[in-house]
Amino acid sequence: MAVLGIPVLEDKYPVSMDMWPIQCKEFNRVWPFYENLKQGKFTTTKCKGCGKVAYPPRVICPECYSEDLEYIELPKKAKVFVFSEELKGVPLGYDSPLIHATIEFPAGSPIKGLVTKIVNCPAGKLKDGDEVQLVIFPVPAHPIDVKGGVAMKERVFFAFEPVNK
Amino acid sequence: MARNACIIAAGMSKWGVREASLVDVFQEAGKACVEDLPGFSKNDIDGLIVATSYAGRCSFQVNTAPVIAERLGLKPTSICARVDVLCAGGSAGMILAKGLVESGMAECVMVAGGEKLYTPQKWEIFYSELASIDHDWDAPHGLGLPPPVFAMTASAHFKAYGTKKEDLAAVSVANYNYASDNPKAQMQRKLTMEEAMTAPVVTMPLTLYDCCPITDGAAAVIIASEEFAKRFNRPLVYMRGHAQYVQHSVSSNWPGEHAGDWAHLRIAAAKAYERAKLTPKDINVAQTHDCFSISEVIEAEELGFCKKGEGGTFASSGQILVGGKVPINTDGGLLACGHPFGGTGCRQGGELMRQLQGRAIHQVKDPAFALQHNLSGMNVEHTIIIYGKEPVTR
Repeated sequence: MAVLGIPVLEDKYPVSMDMWPIQCKEFNRVWPFYENLKQGKFTTTKCKGCGKVAYPPRVICPECYSEDLEYIELPKKAKVFVFSEELKGVPLGYDSPLIHATIEFPAGSPIKGLVTKIVNCPAGKLKDGDEVQLVIFPVPAHPIDVKGGVAMKERVFFAFEPVNK
Repeated sequence: MARNACIIAAGMSKWGVREASLVDVFQEAGKACVEDLPGFSKNDIDGLIVATSYAGRCSFQVNTAPVIAERLGLKPTSICARVDVLCAGGSAGMILAKGLVESGMAECVMVAGGEKLYTPQKWEIFYSELASIDHDWDAPHGLGLPPPVFAMTASAHFKAYGTKKEDLAAVSVANYNYASDNPKAQMQRKLTMEEAMTAPVVTMPLTLYDCCPITDGAAAVIIASEEFAKRFNRPLVYMRGHAQYVQHSVSSNWPGEHAGDWAHLRIAAAKAYERAKLTPKDINVAQTHDCFSISEVIEAEELGFCKKGEGGTFASSGQILVGGKVPINTDGGLLACGHPFGGTGCRQGGELMRQLQGRAIHQVKDPAFALQHNLSGMNVEHTIIIYGKEPVTR
C-alpha cells in the first residue's frame, strides 16, 4: 500500500515533467500550428492588419496587438551554418548522438534561422553548409481531463534531417 | 532629487557539490554577508530580494522570499520578494535594490541569490535544466543543457574571426588560477595550459575546463543609501549605472549575424555606459559571464574592451590578467567558482566591491570603475551593472 505524502507517479501524468508542448485545443490557443504540423505543414501566424509575420505563432500580433491573425507556411528546407554533436550526458528522453545545428532559411524567409535538433544522421557525418529538411514525428500522447472522464491527446513535433542521408 | 546607492557588504557560502539544502546555503551566505562589514547588523536590513530560479523545480519550494527571510532572522518592511531571470537573477535583484534605495523606498536591502541544483539523483538536474529555455519551441529540441549552444557559438566565432582553442584555454587557465586561493570556489586548484588543451571533450570544440560546473551555493550583498553607507569605516562603492536588455526568447529570433555576434549585448553595454557616464576605456576591472570560456572572449569584444573579433587574442595575450588591460573574473568567475544561477550576480558584485575597496585577493592596482555582466537563458538577455568610487554627477 502506498504511503500518503510519498511521491507515487505510477499511472500519474505530471505535466511539470513533460518536455513536449501541450498542443490540444482544450489547452493551447496556438493548436492550429500542431494540427498543420500533423498535415506536414510548418506554419506560423501573420497579422492581417499590419502584415507582421511572427515565429513562434501568437494569439496577438507582437507589433500592433491585433488578434486578427492567419496561419502561413514557412520554408521546409534550410542550410547548416554551424552544428554541435553531444555524445555524452544527453538529457533523459534524448538519444546520443544529440546533434544540434544553427540552420539558415533561404533569403526572403520570415525566419532567418533556427537552432534545431538534427535527426536521422550519425555522428561525424554532418558538415557546415549541408542542406536539411523538416521532419515531423509523433511524440507521446498525454491524458487530459475532459467532460465525463479522461481523453488521450496525440502529439507531434519537428526537427530537421540531412537531405542527402 | 534621487539619492545614490552603494554596495556595502557581500558574502557567500562555500560553493560546490554541497551536503546542504537550499535554505542551508542561503543562511551561510546571509551570515557571511552581514559579518563582512564590522558594525553592521542584520537588524539594519529593511528589504530582502531573493534571486533563485530552481527552488520550485529542485526543492519543490516556490514563494522563497519569506522562507529565506525567516531563516536569516530578517523582518523586512520595504520589500520581501523573489526575482527569477536564471543566470542574471542576482544582478536583477541588485538593480531593483538600487532603484528602491535611490528612490527612497528602502534604506538598506539585502539581495541574496542561490540555488540547490544537485537533487538526490543527478539525472534530475540534467532533465530540469530543460526548463531554463523557451519550453514549447526550443526545449523540445533537447537544448536546455547549454554546451551544444555554446559549442556552436565557439564554432561560429572560430569560423568568423579565426579564434583558436588556445585562446579559450587561456581563459580557463586564468580563471582557475584566480580561484586557486579562493576558499569559497568550487574548483580551488591551478590549471595548466597543457591540462586545458588535452581535457576530455564535452561538446566539440568545448572540453572540460571550457564549461562551468553545476553548483550548489548562495551569495548575498547589501545595497544601501550613501548616507547609510557613510556610517561605516569603508571606502564607498557606488552603483553608477545599469542595463538589462532582452529582445527575444526563441532561437529563431536571435539578433546577431551569427552565434558569435552578440548584437543584444552591444545594446545593453551602450545603455549601461551611457547611464554610468563612462566608456569602455574607463573600466579597470570586470566580472563577465564566463559560463563558457568562449563567452568571456565574446563579452570582452561586445563590452568594448577590445575590437570585435579580437577577444581571443585579448585573452591569450594576458589582457585579462592582473596587470593587463582589463583584469576579468579575478575571483575565478563562473568557470572556477561555479554557477548557482541566482547567486552569480551577487558573487560578482561582492568581488568588484572588494576590488574598488582595495581588499581583493587578486587586487588590481587602484581601480576607479568596475563592470559586472551576465548573460542569461539561451543567451537571450544581457545584464550589466557599473560601479565607481565616485557617484554619477547628475
